[in-house]
Amino acid sequence: MSTDQSESSARTPGAHAFGLLREALPDFGWLKRADLRRELFSGGAGALLVIPQAITFAYLTGVPPEFGLYCAIFVGFIASLLGSSVLVGGPNTAVSILIGMTVIPFAGRGSPLFIEFVFALSLLVGLIQLLIWLLRGANLFRYFSPAAIVGIKVGVGVLLIASGVEGALGMSPFFTYFAYEKFYLAVAAWHDSANLCAVATSAATILSGLLLRKHWPRAYVILALLIGSLVGMGIYGVLGPVNSQLELLGHLRMAALPLTVPTLAPPQLLFLEHTFFSALAIAVLGLAQTLVIARDLKATVDPNVDLHKETFAQGVANALAPFFSTFAGSGSFNRTSVALEMGARTPLSGLIAALAVLLIAWALEPVLTYLPMPAIAGVMVLVGIGMMQNNDFRLLRSRVEAAVFTMTFLAVFFLGLEVGIFVAVLVSIGFLVASISKVGLSISRQGEEERIAITGNLFYASLDRLAKHLRGSPRQHTVLDLSKVAYCDAAARGTIEKIKTEREQQGGRLEIVEP
Amino acid sequence: MSSTTLIAVGLVLLCSSLAALARPSIEELKSRAVLDDYESNVVFGYNIVMETNKYAGRYTGSTLACTSCHLKGGTQPNGFALNVAGLYPKWRSKNGVRNGLGLRIRDCFLYSLNGIMPPEESAEVQAVAAYVHYLSEGQAIGKAPEGYSVPTLPETGSDPDPARGQAVFKRACTACHGADGHGTAAAPPLWGINSYNAGAGTHNVAKLAGFVWANMPLGQERSLSHQEALDVAAFIYIQHRPFDPREGRLRKLAEKIYRSIWGGDQTKSSSK
Ligand code: HEC
Ligand code: HEC
Repeated sequence: MSTDQSESSARTPGAHAFGLLREALPDFGWLKRADLRRELFSGGAGALLVIPQAITFAYLTGVPPEFGLYCAIFVGFIASLLGSSVLVGGPNTAVSILIGMTVIPFAGRGSPLFIEFVFALSLLVGLIQLLIWLLRGANLFRYFSPAAIVGIKVGVGVLLIASGVEGALGMSPFFTYFAYEKFYLAVAAWHDSANLCAVATSAATILSGLLLRKHWPRAYVILALLIGSLVGMGIYGVLGPVNSQLELLGHLRMAALPLTVPTLAPPQLLFLEHTFFSALAIAVLGLAQTLVIARDLKATVDPNVDLHKETFAQGVANALAPFFSTFAGSGSFNRTSVALEMGARTPLSGLIAALAVLLIAWALEPVLTYLPMPAIAGVMVLVGIGMMQNNDFRLLRSRVEAAVFTMTFLAVFFLGLEVGIFVAVLVSIGFLVASISKVGLSISRQGEEERIAITGNLFYASLDRLAKHLRGSPRQHTVLDLSKVAYCDAAARGTIEKIKTEREQQGGRLEIVEP
Repeated sequence: MSSTTLIAVGLVLLCSSLAALARPSIEELKSRAVLDDYESNVVFGYNIVMETNKYAGRYTGSTLACTSCHLKGGTQPNGFALNVAGLYPKWRSKNGVRNGLGLRIRDCFLYSLNGIMPPEESAEVQAVAAYVHYLSEGQAIGKAPEGYSVPTLPETGSDPDPARGQAVFKRACTACHGADGHGTAAAPPLWGINSYNAGAGTHNVAKLAGFVWANMPLGQERSLSHQEALDVAAFIYIQHRPFDPREGRLRKLAEKIYRSIWGGDQTKSSSK
């Protein structure tokens, strides 16, 4: 795992810059490999799948639904164009929730200022991700504990269900700091303010989704949305808007090229100053998801996937998002796996999906207009349940992993997603340090001579035990076998040399078998 | 929700008491580099009222804009002026409950624009509410402002007659609203699928007559006699327009099919 790390550190600055440039330019090497028919099909399916998600995530962010579709189109397109893999980007649950939660204290939901703040925040997130790219941050994400990711995903699942609650009950949204407050309020206010027509619609969506999931594990969300919408539209059609009080999606007024320039006047800059750490959390979370998928792809499908290149692609896509009237996104677990299942292997399917979203949204606009919002809230709950269940929980059999998972999940649940992410990072780093600073000393004796074979990493943090052992018997004759050591830093080497001279002064000996 | 509303109301009151000294014009607000949340909502609300289909297209269903009826962006006395924040919440017979300003705005989307009812907390409704508050700065609370709504025409002694109204329409209105009443580039449709629906407040002979008398033909206001205004209003009233959405569309369709098969009363049902 450290091969390309050492490779890049060995390069000259010129070669380094050239390497960066190569990562930054789109690479169309995949064109030769692309199976056009499969990529086309998978792109089309991806577009169908992303439309309800994009609308939902726009709602989570607090912006008009068009913006979510723009995210699927432009963020998805740019990420696929600059990336090197089948990884599908675009609007993302956790990122959307975080953006919404970050901006809501500063401006009215969906108001012009709110939207300007969303744009400014997305720009900052993209720039932070580009900085992470320059600093070779992708190397760090390789150590992001899978258990922490599971913890975040389960936590986001709960948050997603919480954000669907008001919509599913037909209540007006309430702002709470903690997800569990929302469940409490929903139960408390249920008698007064729940709308039965909305409940019928969302219940039809959720129940049909849960029933259909076994048979159609990929398409069930779309089918459930379809059934729920039919129920909702039926109620709306019979009772009318006033008696049913059902909220509809409304007309989508899509532009083919919604170009804008994000405003960066003093209020926006002040806002960014206040929310810098949230931006950092969003950037880290977005990259973590993108890179976990990329890492998976590299291991299973395509060894050529370049994590740095994907980092760059995601950063550019997010930094450019506000120029296309949309917000930041990240790689998507579920859409990438659908693309893989449909046989896609190259970025082509992502490019096709992005364009297909535009066409499909245009063609379906008259129908989408009457999409009942409670059905969309039902989809949120379904996706939330899916996020909590579709995890590899076998991972958690180990005690350490279970602890990482529990800590991240509790942090997300009680302290919110931003804090949860930092906890995940800290815990991952903590356990990583703990595991790499464990050095194996196997000591064997042959008469007077002691032989110590060392495995693991020798560096300032892990040196203690060895140094203590060696200093404990200064007149011993020891053979120190470093041939199995993965990494030995200068501090460790210095200490060993020092002990060697100490021993020679006191009449002992230290013989080193070099790596 | 309620706490944010309270804060918003508090902010509005604070801003209005400060700004009552010198309320900046919309043009002035637009030229400023920096707007706070309230001001940016006022400008957004103004944009919605002036160009509804561009700024609130998500919820519209006609080619009308709010300013088609709330003339000059709601600033024209006797032209459904919008400086009415002090009158809300109030009792209305339409749905038999106390109505907040938000619901009144949503109603106009649903009926007057034949659109989709936006949710109370949607950005569009909030922005128009901010704009209405802005227009109402300095007005007394609970008292109808000068030039409120439209004038109520006095009894003329003769019932409104659509046949005479058609003649008035041909003479005075077709130049702008088109020979078929479906609107032109110069003026919005008076009926047809792109106009307000049968549930709208304008779908009322007395109110429409008052509006027409006080404001139409545009540029020659009050040139029609009271009787002419009533007649033309009656003529507009009997034209085809989208039906009252309070009756669900599916039920309406089923009724239509039922009637066309089994016969029965085929005339348009009115909201009266
Ligand atoms: C077809 C004409 C028409 C259009 C278009 C229209 N309205 Fe109205 N609106 C009315 C009428 C009629 C009333 C009732 C006025 C009255 O009773 O005096 C009204 C009342 C209102 C009121 C309450 C004012 C009062 O006098 O109490 C508000 C606020 C309002 N409309 C907002 C809007 C908004 C916002 C739009 C655009 C989205 C809009 N209206 C579009 C006709 C219209
Ligand atoms: C000089 C052109 C002109 C003439 C003539 C004219 N209108 Fe209008 N009318 C307008 C315009 C323009 C508007 C929309 C107001 C705006 O956008 O400022 C309007 C709006 C209306 C409205 C409300 C909006 C709607 O579409 O329902 C009614 C009702 C109306 N006119 C009726 C009449 C009647 C009746 C006559 C004839 C007596 C008439 N108008 C003559 C230009 C005209």
